[in-house]
Amino acid sequence: MAKVLIVDDDPDFVSAVAIVLENAGYKVCKAHSRQEGMQVFDKEQPNLVVLDVMMQEPDDGFVMAQELKARAKVPILMLTSVGQVTGLDFDKDSEMVPVDVFEQKPIMPSVLLERINQLLQ
Amino acid sequence: MQVLDRTKIIQEISDLKKTYGDDRSALLPILQDLQETYGYLPDLVMQETAHALEIHPVEVEGVASFYSFFRRKEKQGKYVLRLCQTISCDLAGKVNVARQLENELGIKFGETTKDGMFTLEYTNCLGMCDQGPAMLVNDRLFAKVTPDKVPYIIVDCRRDFLKSDFPKIVPSDVRKSGPILSHDLKPGEGLKAALNHTRAEVIGIIRESGLRGRGGAGFPTAVKWQLAGAAQSDKKYVVCNADEGEPGTFKDRYLLFHHTDMILDGMTIAAYAIGAKKGFFYLRGEYLYLKKYMLEALEIRRKNNLLGKDIAGKKGFDFDIEVRMGAGAYVCGEETALIESLEGYRGEPRNRPPFPVDTGFQKNPTIVNNVETFLDATLICVKGAKWFNEHGTEKSKGTKIFSISGDCEQPGIYELPFGITIAQLLKEVKGENAKAVQIGGASGKCVARKDFNRTIAFEDISSGGSIIVFGPSVDMLKVAINFMEFFVEESCGQCTPCRDGNVKLLEGLKLLEKGRCSVTYLNELMRLAETIQLASKCGLGQSSPNAFLSILENFKSEILGRVPEKA
Repeated sequence: MAKVLIVDDDPDFVSAVAIVLENAGYKVCKAHSRQEGMQVFDKEQPNLVVLDVMMQEPDDGFVMAQELKARAKVPILMLTSVGQVTGLDFDKDSEMVPVDVFEQKPIMPSVLLERINQLLQ
Repeated sequence: MQVLDRTKIIQEISDLKKTYGDDRSALLPILQDLQETYGYLPDLVMQETAHALEIHPVEVEGVASFYSFFRRKEKQGKYVLRLCQTISCDLAGKVNVARQLENELGIKFGETTKDGMFTLEYTNCLGMCDQGPAMLVNDRLFAKVTPDKVPYIIVDCRRDFLKSDFPKIVPSDVRKSGPILSHDLKPGEGLKAALNHTRAEVIGIIRESGLRGRGGAGFPTAVKWQLAGAAQSDKKYVVCNADEGEPGTFKDRYLLFHHTDMILDGMTIAAYAIGAKKGFFYLRGEYLYLKKYMLEALEIRRKNNLLGKDIAGKKGFDFDIEVRMGAGAYVCGEETALIESLEGYRGEPRNRPPFPVDTGFQKNPTIVNNVETFLDATLICVKGAKWFNEHGTEKSKGTKIFSISGDCEQPGIYELPFGITIAQLLKEVKGENAKAVQIGGASGKCVARKDFNRTIAFEDISSGGSIIVFGPSVDMLKVAINFMEFFVEESCGQCTPCRDGNVKLLEGLKLLEKGRCSVTYLNELMRLAETIQLASKCGLGQSSPNAFLSILENFKSEILGRVPEKA
């Protein structure tokens, strides 16, 4: 079964997403910062990454996406409320936000699972 | 009385619109040029400007009344003499120069001579704090003015400076250079180095260097650039904040004159990184004499393909820079107020969020960085993050350029590493007998001797570069009064705590001066100061009581129980 890495500084959100994914049969690994996320990625080699934007630094998610894409072809689902919190208007972009899907929080579990299934196919 | 020709005014405004554009953002430059023509802004001129820009005349009146360099009621003299009233010039004997100016011209400050030749005004910080008292005559700067020089300056004005013994340009006094100031880069070298990388890589280099904003707040530069780069928009802007208004700061004046191309390289690198096509250089009104040098530098860069289309051969990278002048408002150093000013509004700070990186100039992603930040970014792109990290502390990388003035033997510009203690700094400038040091200008902190082992760094005492040394004989109450008068004058007036609270603090200081303030009332004022810090929305308001609080905390026994001098 596919392995998904969830990177988000909100532990409650990580737990909630983990429950949804585990119930759907995915293996889950977790991290709560960009630095920890990169370490877990190297160790676990997940098939997909669910990534937040604002963690210790407001741009951590963008930076991690760039770092991940530079070293692997792993699909990234960016899941963030950065737009609502800051009023900023972001979306995926090949160079600065190199993610495969950009979704706003909150997200319905069914929609999240559908996006992940599509990315993994 | 001046007779105004409406048709001529309409034609002039129409011509100015061709230069500055026909939207609201052209308002300030149009008003500045019209004031140059008419000596002030008559009602008719403001009305016609409003009609031409399709805004209400009240809007124009509101803008003109906000900025201290605009005159609405009375024609200004052919020569406007602006004497700096900041504490550094105060310590250097400004009061005697002021008195002599009044004696020679027969007018008070705020008045114009009957022959229409001279207007006498006070102004805040001219960026000459190490060479005070300083005075600006139209766009000509005078340093180390003494009362005996006053009649000669006036004679020179009457001769329209056809012959003058005063230097045209006042040189800056650089006392100590470090890796930044002693660079050996040529114009465009930093930019070309950056263009060899992808946009994300450029931001990565800046991130690795740990560069933080040199204006004082210390926001990580790479984060700002990354967010603006990632934001979705067809139009993005790069703004250089050259509104060096913090009392006691004068290093940008030097950098703008001697490191112009490195700063413009930095702006262009930022434009490449975030995907901007247009930049603004917001230069404070007091530095009008630098404008022509900036324009010349920009023109040379256009000729050398360092600005314009396909810059340095990079296909599709188009960028250009426009110089915009401030008009005498300290608050415009705050980035959202600066953007309001660029858009042609009163320089009133905005609520944040949204932040300028997304909703900046005309609601487009905009980065605003300090002059020194752009200079550092250029050097980092050539010499690398590791080179930059050789100096400074874990959280405050690199060196910082300081403007040091006040009671020390060697005032001037110093490049020193972050993490230096105040005692080490005082030894460097030969001011070891200081009783206090003001770090960060009027909005900064007054540090007493007992704390001279503290460090200047973002993690301890942060500074945009202004250091004012107070010797043993300085009356700290007078210092506090000078700073509070500054904030009362410069508050934009939006938030009640800052607008009215600072007036109450100043009244309290005047009571202390008369020796008529109880400790109970003083404690009330200190609580009010804390409220101002909490309840004001912008950096100016939040930091306005800093000097009041730190001076009163450190020098209470010196300040309380005064017996006023008999008149």
